[in-house]
Amino acid sequence: MLSGLQTNASRNRYLGDFTRVVIVITAITLAGWFAPLSYHALGYVYLLAVIALSLNISRWPALAAAVLSGMAWDYFCVPPKLSFAGIHFDEGLLLTTYFAVALIGSQLTALRSAADRAGLLAESERMHQTLLDSVSHEMMTPMAVFRSAIEQLGTPDQGKRLRVIAELEIALNRLDRLVANLLNQNRLESGVLRPLMDWCDIHELIAAARRVVGSRIGDHPLTVEISPDMPIFRADAALLEQAIVQLLVNASVHTPSDSAIRVSAGVSPDSRNVVIIISDNGPGVPEEIRNMVFDKFTRGNNAKKGGLGLGLSIVRGFMQAQGGDVSIASSPEGGAQFTLQLPFEKPSSIPIS
Amino acid sequence: MKNESKPSILVVDDEEQIRRMLRGVLEEEGYSVRDAESGRIALGEIALNAPDLVILDLGLQDTNGTEVLRALRPICNSPVLILSVLGNEKGKIAALDAGADDYLTKPFSGGELLARLRALLRRAHPPSAPMATYQFGPIQVDLVQRRVLRGGEPVKLTFQEFNVLQMFVMNRDKLLTHQNILKEIWGPQAKDHTEYLRYYVMQLRKKLGDDVNSAAGHFQTETGVGYRFVSKPH
Repeated sequence: MLSGLQTNASRNRYLGDFTRVVIVITAITLAGWFAPLSYHALGYVYLLAVIALSLNISRWPALAAAVLSGMAWDYFCVPPKLSFAGIHFDEGLLLTTYFAVALIGSQLTALRSAADRAGLLAESERMHQTLLDSVSHEMMTPMAVFRSAIEQLGTPDQGKRLRVIAELEIALNRLDRLVANLLNQNRLESGVLRPLMDWCDIHELIAAARRVVGSRIGDHPLTVEISPDMPIFRADAALLEQAIVQLLVNASVHTPSDSAIRVSAGVSPDSRNVVIIISDNGPGVPEEIRNMVFDKFTRGNNAKKGGLGLGLSIVRGFMQAQGGDVSIASSPEGGAQFTLQLPFEKPSSIPIS
Repeated sequence: MKNESKPSILVVDDEEQIRRMLRGVLEEEGYSVRDAESGRIALGEIALNAPDLVILDLGLQDTNGTEVLRALRPICNSPVLILSVLGNEKGKIAALDAGADDYLTKPFSGGELLARLRALLRRAHPPSAPMATYQFGPIQVDLVQRRVLRGGEPVKLTFQEFNVLQMFVMNRDKLLTHQNILKEIWGPQAKDHTEYLRYYVMQLRKKLGDDVNSAAGHFQTETGVGYRFVSKPH
């Protein structure tokens, strides 16, 4: 199947090359017929054309260019015109030059494209290796904790056992989050993500997100402001909840332990979008990396160790899957402010009885 | 229940370690445990001797968990708890619509599992005949007189608001999918009108003083799936 595709592709490329050859030679022949040039000069024009063509096409089309040029030159340009003249020494030399140039030029083209492919391959291999290194680091760290915790659980010291269990839980949560992120990223990239759009109540979503975040919010005071006339709106509740969870966890991880986090929600003044804003008063995200933070595997320079840099890329993917988006700005207090937005349409009338 | 003190539970999961761990957790709680590694074996076990409750993994090798449910329902009425994974909302909803009673998302804690099992078993074996009045904290619901009191004060509910509340009360502690409720209250043609449900639950929360943000709220949201009316929130 695959090799069939490749044969098809190379056949198409050959056809394209041959078409170019015929067009160029025909054009030169037509121009040469009317131009006041000697047949010697025209011979060099053909030569230049063969050089230019052979540097861009593969071997057989290049040789065809050489043969065609030779025949066209002899038939149309070398007197007596409109007949194949006998080949003298100097004409023969020029014709041979066509062939030599065609072979050398096309060989150079082949070498260049092989080098390009090798370069691409090396680049993709390098990225693959980097990804593999960071994924295995992220996986091995919690597993190392599991192994050493199991050994320490045999201790008769009850206090120590409880501390070990707490460590186990942290490692488990970390592994859990990592696997969930990898699966989500994969769902986004493989295109199997089909959002289930449904009418949602923002109160419920934020409450559910807070439950999921649970103790990960730490000591951060969280305030929620939902505009009193906030209507229900269409979204994939599970995806939007995960986006809010990710932003809340990010805000708690990247800001000092007791700094406030604010969530607010409302409809934009033009009634076209539902807007959910999650802001903190931590160090913020430097202006120069703001347009990169949603790319996968991007992590802030000052970010704490750990993590693959997938979280915000997943937030963007989930929001775009629902027809919305996420953006970043500075919060009024100078921290980071993330805005989730979704297209808003009014619900149809609800039968009230 | 064959043995009042020892409800029997059938664990269906193709991972041997999960079966071992669940057996440990469940036996410690005094349940009698059987297990099955495939849908086919599970159906055989159930036909032979119906358990009081089934724990069913949705990601079995041989058959899809939803198919197992469809084959199981005609021969066994016991509650079924589904084990699912993150992001499989569609599978969860399909299983619940095919007759599963509740779900847990892997990885879950033993505590969560036991709490779900107790609620499911309590529902499957109600202690007495259905009552006319129910008390949930400060809220009293009289299903016969169609009256609701909040801290002794009457609460004015519309006709349909009361119907929704009544459905929650009758199915308390059970997970109801959006479609379950919409079909029951507004008929099959309304099964996709989740906006009705959001509005009525919002109204009920407001009138009954139920805080959506508090773990003590009775109306619990199961994101993307449905609602659960919790009779005794912690």
